[in-house]
Amino acid sequence: MDEDANLSKLLHLKRYEQPPPGYFDDFLREFQRRQRAEVLRRPAWAVFWDRIASIAPTFRVPQFAYAAILILAAGASTLIVTQQPTGTGGKADGPRTSLSLTASKPVTITDTLPVAARTGGSLPSHYVLQSRPVSNEQPLSF
Amino acid sequence: MDEAPEPNDDELVARTQAGDPEAFDDLVVRYSPRLYGLIYNMTANHEDTNDLLQEVFAKAYRSINGFRGKSSFYTWMHSIAVNMTINFVKKRGRRHVMSLDDLDAGVHNDPDFIEATTGGDPRHDANLSELQQRLNEALQKLSHEHRAVVTMFDIQGMPHAEIAKILGISEGTVRSRLFYAHRQLQIYLEEFIKH
Repeated sequence: MDEDANLSKLLHLKRYEQPPPGYFDDFLREFQRRQRAEVLRRPAWAVFWDRIASIAPTFRVPQFAYAAILILAAGASTLIVTQQPTGTGGKADGPRTSLSLTASKPVTITDTLPVAARTGGSLPSHYVLQSRPVSNEQPLSF
Repeated sequence: MDEAPEPNDDELVARTQAGDPEAFDDLVVRYSPRLYGLIYNMTANHEDTNDLLQEVFAKAYRSINGFRGKSSFYTWMHSIAVNMTINFVKKRGRRHVMSLDDLDAGVHNDPDFIEATTGGDPRHDANLSELQQRLNEALQKLSHEHRAVVTMFDIQGMPHAEIAKILGISEGTVRSRLFYAHRQLQIYLEEFIKH
């Protein structure tokens, strides 16, 4: 308790720390000088932006407007997602067809045909499943 | 003949918002000594305080059209000053030179000063500049947030509720920060406190 009171008394002494005499008389003049200099130095768009930024909080926007904007944004996002074309990139990969749960046409899986059948039988029969070559030979075991 | 009463803050703010820059000058004159003390006790440097105080008023002037009177102008100005000062001292980090302001001559007659620097015990003997130095060093050892609370409560004499509004925290947080800061300061200033 005593220590706390003594500390408070000690900290009160900091009130006596003051700037040089006449400081506050000059402060306002210095402030006005800096303000004028700032207006001359800053580009017009920056001054304009400050004005907009300072009055923006004064715009009276009804609270339900924020909810309406959110709903509109959510609706727009949903619309964009559902309008995405299906099976993009399929043409570039030749006969492969991309599978899509939303595809409206029947899907033909050609990747499971033997490679030999597609190359005229000059190669040993290999199967391609999901674009990865698979051999029907026994795997090596040690 | 009676002089016209000084306009209050709300009137000056309204006139400034209506485009009267002289009204803002009156606010600068009214608030600069108090805000100077607030910033100075957080930065411990006169040049930094001067620059920051200029910036604080410049920001307030730019933003005054956005001031809607939800809080008092006093609280609004102090919030700008505290936030800008905390940001400044965080950026400044360790790079800082303490420059002590002149002590007002009145300190020599203050009984608390006499008690702190003599106290009848040779261990407590200290001269004015040493006490000033030690006080500022102790304050600079506190975190920015704790220093802000000590400055406003112990040095500027603001109530807990006002400090809470300025910092945007609860009164309980103000009290707990003060409690912790006082414990720290008691350790740093032990030789001046224990009698």
